[in-house]
Parts: sequence; C-alpha cells; structure tokens
Amino acid sequence: MDELAHRIDQLLAIPPYGLTPEEQQSELLDLLKDELEYACARNARYRNYLQHWPTDIRSARRLADLPYLPVGLLKAQPPLSLVEPHEIKKTLTSSSTTGQVPSRIALDSPTSRRMTKGVVNITQDFIGSNRRPYLVVDVPASVAGGPEMGARGAAIQGLRPFASEVTYCLKPDGDGDLTLDRDKLLHFAEAQRKSVVLVYGFTYILWKYLVKPLRAENICLGMGDLHILHSGGWKLLQKEAVDKKTFNEGLARVFGCPADRVIDFYGMVENVGIIYPDCAEGNKHVPVYGDVIVRDPLTLQPVEEGQPGIVEVCSALPTSFPGHLLLTEDLAEIVTYDGCRCGRRGTCFRFMGRVEKAEVRGCGNIERTRQQSN
Amino acid sequence: MIELVRNIERPEDISAAARELRETVDAAEITPQSVLEVFEAWAAVLGERETIDIPGVQFLRMWLRRGTLEPIIVRELGHRALDGAWMEDGRARLKAFPLGVVGHWPAGNIEIQPMLSMTCALLGGNACLVRVPSGLDDLTRRIIAKLKQVDGKWVLTRRVRLLVFDHARRDLQEAMARAVDGAMVWGGAEAVLEVRGLPFPHWARLAVFGPRISVAAMDADSWCNVQERESWCRRIARDVWQFDQQACSSPQVLFLEKKPGHCCDEFVQTLKTAFEYENRLHPRLTIPAGLTSAICQARASWLLDDIAHRAVFSTGPDWTLLVGSGSEIPQPTQGKTLTVLEVDDLRQPLQKLDGNVQTLGLAMADPAREEELASLAASRGVDRIVKLGRMHVFAPPWDGVDLIRPMVRVVRHVPSTG
Repeated sequence: MDELAHRIDQLLAIPPYGLTPEEQQSELLDLLKDELEYACARNARYRNYLQHWPTDIRSARRLADLPYLPVGLLKAQPPLSLVEPHEIKKTLTSSSTTGQVPSRIALDSPTSRRMTKGVVNITQDFIGSNRRPYLVVDVPASVAGGPEMGARGAAIQGLRPFASEVTYCLKPDGDGDLTLDRDKLLHFAEAQRKSVVLVYGFTYILWKYLVKPLRAENICLGMGDLHILHSGGWKLLQKEAVDKKTFNEGLARVFGCPADRVIDFYGMVENVGIIYPDCAEGNKHVPVYGDVIVRDPLTLQPVEEGQPGIVEVCSALPTSFPGHLLLTEDLAEIVTYDGCRCGRRGTCFRFMGRVEKAEVRGCGNIERTRQQSN
Repeated sequence: MIELVRNIERPEDISAAARELRETVDAAEITPQSVLEVFEAWAAVLGERETIDIPGVQFLRMWLRRGTLEPIIVRELGHRALDGAWMEDGRARLKAFPLGVVGHWPAGNIEIQPMLSMTCALLGGNACLVRVPSGLDDLTRRIIAKLKQVDGKWVLTRRVRLLVFDHARRDLQEAMARAVDGAMVWGGAEAVLEVRGLPFPHWARLAVFGPRISVAAMDADSWCNVQERESWCRRIARDVWQFDQQACSSPQVLFLEKKPGHCCDEFVQTLKTAFEYENRLHPRLTIPAGLTSAICQARASWLLDDIAHRAVFSTGPDWTLLVGSGSEIPQPTQGKTLTVLEVDDLRQPLQKLDGNVQTLGLAMADPAREEELASLAASRGVDRIVKLGRMHVFAPPWDGVDLIRPMVRVVRHVPSTG
C-alpha cells in the first residue's frame, strides 16, 4: 500500500494537463492495474466481479481494456469499501433525484487528502493559486460536520484551500427553503469590491437564489475581478428554459464582471479528486491522474473523435473504495484526444446529458427506447 | 392510387380514413381463402432485398404462409370458414362476419408487430386502421410497399390504412378509438391502460395483449445429455436472440434441474458457444445507451451481490449469462441477458409463477414429468408451454386468447322454414 500511495503522490506532483496522451497512458496503466489488484485483495465481492471480466486485466494494453464498474453499484449499502470501518473518516453522498438512492463513497484519510490535492491542482490551473475571499452561495449547513457529506458540501469544501476567508450568503427562510441574505451579500460586495474574489454555488442555486432576486431589483454588485465556479448540472434550469449563455450573462450582470469569468465544472463525488471545468473553448479536460473514456453503446469500445457515447471516468486517487474506473450514466462526445486550442494536453470532451433509463416492457410500447437509438 | 401510410395531423383525417374502410367492408365480403392468396404472394416478395433484413421479416414470411394460417382459421372459425360458407350447427347454421373496422395499437419494440396484428383482423374479413409506432415508420412503409406490389386487385390494400402520428396526441388517439368496432392492443402496462381508457364505441371489442415475460426450464436428463446439449443450447440462443429478448415470449431465465454428480459449468460453456455463434449470425446493429447501461449494471450487480454467483459475458453488450442457483425469477434485464439458475426440483420455480409469465419453454426427457409440469405451470397462469427453440412461434391461442376469433362475430341463423 505504501508503494501504491507513493506512486499516486508522484502523479499528483505532475502539472494536471502537462502530459501527452501516450505519456498519460503509460503513467496510469500499470498504476491502475496494481490498484485493481489491491482492491481485489481487499474486497471479495469486487474480486468476484473482476475475476469474471472477459479479458485478462494484466495483459491490458490500454486503459480502455481495464474492467469498469457501473457507478450505480456504488449505491450499495453498506458502501463498497476497501478499508476497515474504523478507517473511514467520511462518507460522501451523491446528489440524487428525489426518490433515488444516492451513492455512498467511503473515504479514509489518505484518499481524502488526495481528493483535496487533486481538486486544488485542477482549479489552480484555471484560476491561479492565490488565496482570496470566498463567497459561497449556499448555507453553512451544507458543510456541517458529521460523518456524511453531500455533493454540495464536498464541492464547497473542495475549493476551501483557495479561501482567505469564507462568506455564506444564503440563509434558511423558515419554510425549509433558502433565501438570499441581502445584507450579508451587499456588505461582502462593498468590502471586497477591489479584491480578487472566488464565488461558488450549485448551478440552480446560483440562478434561483442569487441571479433572479438581484436581477428583479436591478442590483449590480460591482465586483469585476472574480471567478464564479458552479456545478451540479443543468436539469433544473432546462425546465426553466435557461441555457448556458443566458445563465452566464445573468451572473455577469449581477456581479458586474465579464461573462467569461463564469466557469461551469462537472464533478461527481464518485470520481474523487477530479473535476472538469470548462476551458475557454468550452471543453472539459482530463487531468493526468485520471481519464475519461467515451464508450460506444453498441460495442463498449472507445469512440472516435467527434463521436458520442457513454462516459467512463477514471481516477488513480482512491484507495478506500473501488472508484478507479466507473461507467457513468452520462453521455458525452469526445472533442479531441489531444490538441485543444486552450493549450491543455490530453483528452477533452463535452457532456451531452444523461442516459435515458431502459425499461423492461415485454411486448410493450418501447417507443421511447427506440427513439433514443435513432 | 390509395395512400396506405398517412401522416396524420387532424382528427378529421382519421375519421375520413375510417369512413373509406367502412365503405369497403360494407361493399363486399372477403373470404379467408382470398386473403391467404395475397398473403402467400406477399410472403414471397418480402424475401427481396428491400425487406429481407428487417428484423422479424423471416418470421412474418413464415406466418403468412397458407400452411401456417389455414390450420389456425380452421381451428378458430371452422372448416367451411375458409371459403366464407355457413356451417351447420344442428338446425342452425353459423358463419363468422367481420366486426368492421379494427384499430391496431401495436408495441413499438417488435418491428413486424403492426403487420402481425393487422393480418389477424384481415383474416376475419375486417378492415384495419393501424397506428404505426413512430420508430417503426420507415420499416413499416417498406413492408407495406411489398403488399401493394403483389395486391394488384386491391383485395387487401383497400382494407388497410396505416396512420403515423405522435403517441402523445390524445385527440388523434381518441379519434381513432371512436372510429373502430374492435381493437387489438399490444403494449406495456402504461400503454395498454392508456389505450383502454380511450372513448371506444360501447360495442367495440378489445383484445389486449399486455406486458409479460417468459421463462425456460430443462430437466437434468436433458441438459446433462452430452449428445443433445449443443442442439438445446442453439435452440435457447435462438429464443433469446429473436426480438433482442424484448418480446413477451422471450426467455429471461433458464432453470436447470440439478443432478447429483453433475455441475452445470460445461453446459454453460456450451451455451456460451451457442450465444457467440448466434451473435456472429445476427449481430446487433443498434442499441439504446440505456440498455447498454442496464446490461453492464446487471452483470456487475449479479457478481457483487453474492460471491457464489458466476457470469460469462462478451466484452461488448452483445450477450450475458448470469449463473447461480435459486428458484426466484430475477428482475429481467433483456438485451440478451439470460440468468441460468440451478434448482433442486423444477416444481419449485413453477409453483411460484404468477400471471406475469406468458410462455414456458421446456426441454424434458421424461414426457410424463413434462405433462405434470405443464399442468402446474398452466395452473399458475402460464398461457403457452412449448419446446425450447419454439418460444416465439406465433400460433394462437396467444396469451390464452385466439387471434382471429376475437375480431369476428359468429352469427347464428336458425331458419324459419322447416
């Protein structure tokens, strides 16, 4: 384990987008093979899965040949873990649609530390490394202590290393909903108007509790030098017919900054230590300690550039749960395997939405299923 | 020139199509023999390159043959019905007459189902309004073009209108329901309930074929028989492959009765070979991403659930064998995912069946035991008990219901003279 940990730390010391695809594959392939072997030794159920994989793991010559676990399996209770219960420091839970079971990710101290380091490395590449006032568009309860933390809390905490001070600008409204704490926000804006500031919020929270009320009152905070990061997906905003352009312009107007200061990033708690911010070209990039493989639904083989498919995310960082290679329920398109105009090396991609669930229907009306394939 | 396939936007277009059909039915009777003549010719041209590769077309060609349909007509309507003649019944005489215009709501997952459903009603002398599921629009046009090609006298083409419209258009669904005298409805629970709730005339007769699954079972002497093993496995693979395991007659689980001293591993290996062979013959051309996800999830879930579970699967989503023991039917995944379960006694799983299981595919070395199991399965709601390899043979009764008779009126005439 010490040797594995050392190799992971070495990867984390490399600039996140500094390797060519070939160099990245060569760094990751053997490490992931060893991590899978380690995971097999620690979890009999996971071992049973990998032992039945149709190809030999040791002879795999590319990351795409390694066995992946559908992310839904991380919803198992008790959580799939590679460590003893007393070693679990925190359990992360995914955001889940009402009625769905969230994923539960067991983190020990080393994985937790690497997770922070991984997110910091990526974020630094986009916003620089200085600490700065950190405005969180959420309530403090989202990061309240305890053995479990949700996706919102994890995202807020992930950016904490960039904060010189933290201000939360939402508060509970008494009816179980959230509301904007105007006094606190305006005070923060007044005090930090000349500072470089970091703002973070879940996408729909930013829109619903910050942009909409401030825009209704025609308020501009006048904070020109900031980065606004947001994550959490577009599903709820799509229902309100709010697209990315409208969202970015809305935020830019209330903060008084250029729209290109708004950075959307995709992250899932299961893919620990990795987030995928949009670059200036609108693409998402893969850091050296992970990978994204987009698989053709018909063959499960990696797609060509420009082709859509099911997203598999890889991360070399976890050692407390088998989250190394996860087949997600998202669809994406590979933009290029190298050569984005933003200058970052390696694979870049764009999300295309969720995989629509297949329903078992007998001689049923599977029209919806058929339409997906068209 | 009659336009058989119509894109519908207004309810009035449906009423107009129904009116044309009703006039045709009222104008002249049509005998099953004359329908069969056109069907035979249609079956022949469906073998041409424009249609031969459509999934299920080979099956449809078999179905349309006189040799297949004549016995069905005779069994359901009687010998003399073939020529449209009256049959004696004591002092009375009987004859099948069409209901009139029959509406068809086929399922969207079986490419040929609009045609299968329609042919049942045509054999009863009816005219047909068929709602074509959106995804089947193009395939259905190609198949029906072949009917037009051979039906020079418009025997059947003037009795058929295929309607293409969005299934969410309630006004169009309602217009179609109002226009028919009978309906054949195929679909999932949600779809069937929706159609049933449409405003049909009070006299309309409905034949509903709802969502069900099917299972397969083999006694120990069948699967342990080395000489016959390969042949059985090929049959199972064919049953799984047809309709991508999405039909109600597709086996989702195979129960193997245990035999002391025999392990099913060799059988599973032979089954794997049969699956690989079938996959080479009939590879998938497309798959919804959701089904691929479900297949990957089923594989992992099965192996993580219990370390005694085993599995064999392709690197792609092509096929999957999940192996274990137990008498419960697992949640089906479809997409050529067959669960193989060893049981001590085949009566164990069969006793647990309910009306959800349509077909039981059997391989039994002992005929007396087969009769016993067939009766047990029938008493637990199973409607079809057939030999493995023949699970999809579309022969009535289907779902326990005849296919032609529900859409005809059997008229009784007791002569006043005599």
